[in-house]
Amino acid sequence: MKKSLLVFAFLTSLILLQGCASGPAYAEMASTIPQVPADKGRIYLYRPSAFGAAIQPAVRLDGVEVGTAKSHGFIYVDAAPGSHFIETTTEVSRRLTFLLEKGQTRYVKLSVSMGFAVGHVYPELVDDAVGVKEVAECKYIGTK
Amino acid sequence: MRTRLFCTPVAIAVLLLTGCAMDIVSVKQSPTTLAPAGDPGAPVVLQNDATVSIGTGFPTKLKKGTVWRQIGQIAEGEVFTTRDQVVTVEASNIHEAQPVIHGGNVVGFYLPVERTFTRAKAPVAITFQPPK
Repeated sequence: MKKSLLVFAFLTSLILLQGCASGPAYAEMASTIPQVPADKGRIYLYRPSAFGAAIQPAVRLDGVEVGTAKSHGFIYVDAAPGSHFIETTTEVSRRLTFLLEKGQTRYVKLSVSMGFAVGHVYPELVDDAVGVKEVAECKYIGTK
Repeated sequence: MRTRLFCTPVAIAVLLLTGCAMDIVSVKQSPTTLAPAGDPGAPVVLQNDATVSIGTGFPTKLKKGTVWRQIGQIAEGEVFTTRDQVVTVEASNIHEAQPVIHGGNVVGFYLPVERTFTRAKAPVAITFQPPK
């Protein structure tokens, strides 16, 4: 009985860990991140929590897939100034609309809420101070 | 017995689907036109915290001490923006928003991407003052 519990706990941990990001930590690669191009703005997309780690929907910027919502992972995307939307889809789609100015950096946090059959991953615009702090605790997972 | 066996899952499914449908809530919006201010307005500092509800269950908080500028006007009031905090309105989806002030009250929000206005459930009094 004790052995079965240990095996169950090990397998559960393994499944959960597989859902987490495995790239370089922000601190390791921050110096290699280029400056924001003069005619663009930058969007950081990150998922700081391991809650619902097995749910990893694609993340789309203006309808184009730019990455995956992996726990403890982050990506960044440079985009033209103007109106944009970020969208993720599990059993429903969740959308964030926002403005991006030239030279501006915006932080979009991906969180999980309860769903009917599967959790919903929703994008949320956060204050710069929050975004800077939380991205620093994530790992780079690369864009699509 | 068979009827009961059939009714129970149907009742459970209806209850669950009712919960699911309630999850899809939209921000009520009406189209509007922003008349941009020629120059960005003089900076003003918000003197009180304000919590503004649009009736979706996700109130928007405006923080005391943040610096704002008027960027234009819509029929419902003056539109302000800040770099000091993120302002969004939320239902099932989230929209960046800019507070609309009329007569010293936040009466709603201008959604710059959608170019629409969403009305506050009730006006919320705020006070701006020039920075010291």
